[in-house]
Amino acid sequence: MPLGNLASVSRFLPELAVTATILLLVAVHVVGKNRQSSASALLSLAGVGAALLLTALQPSMPAVSLFEGMVALDGFAVFFKALTALATIVVIFMSMDSAELSGKSQAEYYVFLLSVLLGMFLLSSATDLVMLYLSLELVSIPSYLLAGYLKGRKSSNEASMKYVVYGATASGVMIYGFSLLYGLTGTTQIAEIGRALATGKAALPLFLAAVMVAVGFGYKIAAVPFHMWSPDVYEGAPTPVTAFLSVGPKAAGFAVLVRFFYTVFASPDGAGGPWTLSSPVDWTLLFAVLSAATMTVGNLVAVNQKNVKRLLAYSSIAHAGYMLMGFVLLTPAGIQAILFYLVVYLFMNLGAFYVVILVANGTRSEDISDYAGLGSRAPFAAVSLAIFLFALTGIPPFSGFIGKVYLFAEVINRGVYWLAVVAALNSVVSLYYYARIVKVMFLEEPAEKAELAVPAFPRALLCLLAVPTLLLGVYWEPVIRVAANSVRLLAF
Amino acid sequence: MGMDKLLVIGAALFCCGLYTILTRRNAVAVLMGVELILNAANVNFVAFSHYVSRVIGGQIFAVFVIVLAAAEAAVALAIFLRLYATTGTVEVDTADELKG
Amino acid sequence: MNGPADLIFYILAALTVGSAILVAILPNIVYSAIALLFAFAGVAGLYVFLSADFLAATQVLVYVGGILILILFAVFLSHRISDVKLSNPARFHWQAAFICLSLFGVLSYTVVSTSFPVKPGTVYQPSTAEIGELLMTRYLLPFEVASVLLLAALIGAALLSRPEGRKGTSSDMEEPK
Repeated sequence: MPLGNLASVSRFLPELAVTATILLLVAVHVVGKNRQSSASALLSLAGVGAALLLTALQPSMPAVSLFEGMVALDGFAVFFKALTALATIVVIFMSMDSAELSGKSQAEYYVFLLSVLLGMFLLSSATDLVMLYLSLELVSIPSYLLAGYLKGRKSSNEASMKYVVYGATASGVMIYGFSLLYGLTGTTQIAEIGRALATGKAALPLFLAAVMVAVGFGYKIAAVPFHMWSPDVYEGAPTPVTAFLSVGPKAAGFAVLVRFFYTVFASPDGAGGPWTLSSPVDWTLLFAVLSAATMTVGNLVAVNQKNVKRLLAYSSIAHAGYMLMGFVLLTPAGIQAILFYLVVYLFMNLGAFYVVILVANGTRSEDISDYAGLGSRAPFAAVSLAIFLFALTGIPPFSGFIGKVYLFAEVINRGVYWLAVVAALNSVVSLYYYARIVKVMFLEEPAEKAELAVPAFPRALLCLLAVPTLLLGVYWEPVIRVAANSVRLLAF
Repeated sequence: MGMDKLLVIGAALFCCGLYTILTRRNAVAVLMGVELILNAANVNFVAFSHYVSRVIGGQIFAVFVIVLAAAEAAVALAIFLRLYATTGTVEVDTADELKG
Repeated sequence: MNGPADLIFYILAALTVGSAILVAILPNIVYSAIALLFAFAGVAGLYVFLSADFLAATQVLVYVGGILILILFAVFLSHRISDVKLSNPARFHWQAAFICLSLFGVLSYTVVSTSFPVKPGTVYQPSTAEIGELLMTRYLLPFEVASVLLLAALIGAALLSRPEGRKGTSSDMEEPK
């Protein structure tokens, strides 16, 4: 039984903390005179920190439905809230260090960043189509603005324009799919839609609706063939924003993908799965093909990239493909593998982008050729980047390996051998382009020998990102347990 | 009247919108196509709300779609004008600073 | 309902779909925008037939009065006023037409052949009060979240449209190599 509006407020504290911070930022800094000061960064840090703390303290058992059935408070939602809040905190630190953003008006930047965070909170817990659409737009619209934040720079403007054109189209197609689902069932609650669809057998409209909704969500996680925006946006946007987009909204996209498809087009055998297909449309096969296409395209195109940000963009497309493997299996272990992979991916991907920022601060360049000799110019940054890249490749003893082991094990366990073979071949391809950067850094002679200074604070943050990347490769037990406990979707 | 006819109108609006998005190079024209698609969804929602649903959830949905369309259009057009100010074009594929 | 009501319905339907097709195919972007106006107005008329009075008014106010004006502003601001021809170049005609026509066929076949769970007897009554009540009760959370979204969009549009400040522009213009 969903709680009413007033009764829900006390279980909505993380979202309220973020909203209050947004309003404070607007009242104090956007309207005020000191828009360039770093005070707004500190205020947002405090706000997101408070939200993270409140999320950790949130009782997720038993799962409840809040605000008349608009959002769910369950282990799954709490996991994604904590994950996205953590990513946001790291990105705020990265933004404070970025030369691209210094001198710009700061207050608006953090308003957009926190709006996206609020959107991701709601997206990972939405259980009503209205709420789902609204939170998806709350993630998207400020993201367009963040991508175009360097408003005097051509590439940033172009990134923003491409993002908005593709994003608006994808969400339009998705909303048409929602309208078909609404017509078939007469309700906007996803749990009720799932129950109503389980009895009816209208294959054609369901297929169309599933494909159209997949367009909207696939665009958010940048799955092939809805990935065209992402390399351009990732290259043109300010680097901290790129790092944020490649982790935060992608994670929230996976959250909504799992919750929506597992509730509407499948029915659980218990609170934490396994699930059985309840619709006549075999969407798992569709997504298995998308998964294989996504990782293959991402990895093959990444091989020829010359710009580091663009290379990492294609690599993050490939990682979305790996994670999609866990989505098509309909088992708790598959979801658990996705959740674990997302934690690992957060550290390694944000870490890699952080090194890109630090190098760009010194060299003003994002070309791979300018990374030559980084091993002697800035040994600390070079070694960290090597750690993150090897973790992204997924070779032992780095954490990316463990993430892949869990995904592969479940894929093989469920007998989807062809997908496992494709993924294994892809990992081999990815080794080539990640290792190429490492080779350039350590084996090639730099054009300029001057040392690149990395200040103490970024060093500390790099350590904080590198330690989990290494540690989770040898001792991952606590995280996998949290992930296992978080595979609890609200069923009502 | 009947629901079928309204749904066919919705489908026609959707396809016109899609054609506009696929063929136009001017970003503002692409946005017009998006608005057509949103209207197609809204026609569906309101029709289903009238003929199928017990409560008027579809009309509420349409209200939110209109609100978000307005927000999205404001942001999108501001972005396009900013792009025009720096590059002198609002065409989707003439802007080619980024590719590969 | 029959007679004049049916006639008006078909006129509105023809207006909506006809204008939408014109939006898609007219070569001049200003004409496209004007056709879009008629498409929006036609949809507002259809809402009246579905007893969605509030939505019909909102459609006219927000779409015709707001979004369309914005689009026209953008069209004129993004072309030099001295340009004789405001072109609206297009590409991939045949492929796109093929895709869209076949999709239209599939979609219309789907919606006509599917048996939606139609409720017995439709009632015509004003819905404004009900919408207001639902927004304050069941849909309170989306209503509040929409306000945060609108705030962010407002700040964003203002930020992008604000002219560059005197300082800070030089580093802004710098492109990465």
